[in-house]
Amino acid sequence: MTAGAPVPDASGGPGAAGGPDTPQRLDGGGWPAQGRRIAAAALLAAVMITWAVAPVSGGGPGTRLALIAAVVCAVASTGRLAIGEEPVSSSPFDPFHVRFTDTVAGVLHALPWAECLIVAVLALEALHHARPWHTAVLGVALLAYVFAAHLAQARTSPAALAGQLPVIAAGVALLALAVGAAALPRLHAGPGSELLRILAVVAAVVAGGLALPVSGRRRPRDSP
Amino acid sequence: MSPADILPAASDDSREYKVSWGLSGHARRLLTLALAGLAIAAVTGRPEFAGLAAPAVLLLATWRPGRPDSVLVRVRATARQLVEGDQATVIVTIGGHGDYAVQGEIKARETFEAGPAVRAGAGQDVLRMPFQAQRWGIRRIGRVEIMLRDRFWLTEGQVSVELPQLECYPRPAALRSTVVLSRLPSRLGEHPSRTAGEGVEFAGVREFVPGDRQRRINWAATTRTGTIQLNTFTAERTQNVVVLADASTNVGEEGATSLDLAYRAAAGTMTCYLAAGDRVGLIVYADRLSWIGPGLGRRHFHRLMDLLLSGHRGWERADGLTRLPKAALPPGALILVFSPLLHPRLVEALRDLRERGFSVLVVDVLTAEPAFSRARTDELTRRIWRLEQQAIRFSLTQLGIPVVHWDGQQSLDEPLAPYTRRVMLAGQR
Repeated sequence: MTAGAPVPDASGGPGAAGGPDTPQRLDGGGWPAQGRRIAAAALLAAVMITWAVAPVSGGGPGTRLALIAAVVCAVASTGRLAIGEEPVSSSPFDPFHVRFTDTVAGVLHALPWAECLIVAVLALEALHHARPWHTAVLGVALLAYVFAAHLAQARTSPAALAGQLPVIAAGVALLALAVGAAALPRLHAGPGSELLRILAVVAAVVAGGLALPVSGRRRPRDSP
Repeated sequence: MSPADILPAASDDSREYKVSWGLSGHARRLLTLALAGLAIAAVTGRPEFAGLAAPAVLLLATWRPGRPDSVLVRVRATARQLVEGDQATVIVTIGGHGDYAVQGEIKARETFEAGPAVRAGAGQDVLRMPFQAQRWGIRRIGRVEIMLRDRFWLTEGQVSVELPQLECYPRPAALRSTVVLSRLPSRLGEHPSRTAGEGVEFAGVREFVPGDRQRRINWAATTRTGTIQLNTFTAERTQNVVVLADASTNVGEEGATSLDLAYRAAAGTMTCYLAAGDRVGLIVYADRLSWIGPGLGRRHFHRLMDLLLSGHRGWERADGLTRLPKAALPPGALILVFSPLLHPRLVEALRDLRERGFSVLVVDVLTAEPAFSRARTDELTRRIWRLEQQAIRFSLTQLGIPVVHWDGQQSLDEPLAPYTRRVMLAGQR
């Protein structure tokens, strides 16, 4: 009833208590779609860890520790995506299970689990011997995970990434270029040669990035 | 809804709000990927890790400076008063944000539910955000969180605007029929009384006496009896109804507590009797007593609802009152009580009312009972508690105070049916 409305009808109207009609709830749904986004992020996290750790026997010391850290971070980051970014507040008078749930949610909010997962996965990959194309695939998976986590956190559809596709494609092209450069056979081994190779790769990436005309593109009108 | 229906809310005109900017979670993850890749490349001497950081670096390179420090925000609500379950919309107009994309969301308080924001039109920075009132009361809706985002979602600007206060009336219980007393005060109204008068409801036939109006002669009866017979009609009177809402106790499941039911029933009853042209008063029996004397009309209805929501207007007295004040109870009034009958002083007050000759009808809104375990002693306690409740209701019935039960689901007409089908004898035990 808005201000100035007449005295309600004696029947109580459609919203009357005890009548056949009950107030309709607002649609606060979207959970199936959000569930798919969270599931995609979780799946990518699992794929990344599996890819980076394989083979387990091939890793150096600390592989198992990094694996455990990665799995913990993957579970926690998925949990954080599921509970959202809303702060939780518990009262000491709440039942135990409510306080326990709030404590878990507080722990999930306290640390940047997704960032820790990225570092742990990179550490897992670094603990193995050099394998440039394997690392390149991991890079693509990491990029996909970053965007999946972003979509789940922002509760938006993949269509929101349409404006970024050229930049993403350029980034993947640079990744391929850099990994290709890294995979070239070594001609001269010696002190400082590795650093020079890294600098060469970075220079190739920067040069390629500057050459790509993607950053000046106009923002799409309806992009969120 | 036309723009004319939109009422100005707390912030009538645009106001400038400071934007608090920060890195988005997406940017933090990209930054982590870039820095970790480059660091591992430098430490391990493996250039492929530097390449792995390339996409993240490229995406971060799209970041641009020039963020607005503040934005202009105008907030309006389409209603100031709602009934439980009704929906309204908050309309937010944002300006001065440049080419940053705008998103909005209502962070509603517990008793409100907010829906997703919808843009009012393509290319406009007007957001319509529906919300629904879940429970009666005078409460703030919550706040609107406005988020400004750049093209690639790397930086986030946040603006928080407090939403205005809203009056949410209890959802009135469905009630179509009214309880009418046998003796009504001499005020013109719509209820046919037992006395003859100038109404439209036929009462009977009597012999003509000089001074009677000839247009009321019943010619058929006159022909049959041989003497002039006259139709008589009942007088149409109004009645005084006092609704007593017991707010002293509140038990039961959230959303259907005894207080919710009492207030919904009181709202439905006041609506019904005011629509029938009766004079309706209200007593809110809480820690402190508040009341408004009987009155008529829409304005009076809003006064009653305001009292129901605030519960602290009118004359107030300290707790411990078992005798309701005379000023709130016009002589011969019908008193409809909505209570779980858990407060012993209210039960005493009802007995006192009956002894003072008022016609009282109690609608019991108790739908819960204390939580007991399955232990044998608790089973015994439960039985004793139930017997006590039955005894209270029985004692009231014996005093001539009918007690009916309403569960909040069905229409109020059903429990009141025995008393709405015929007139209720006034002031008799």
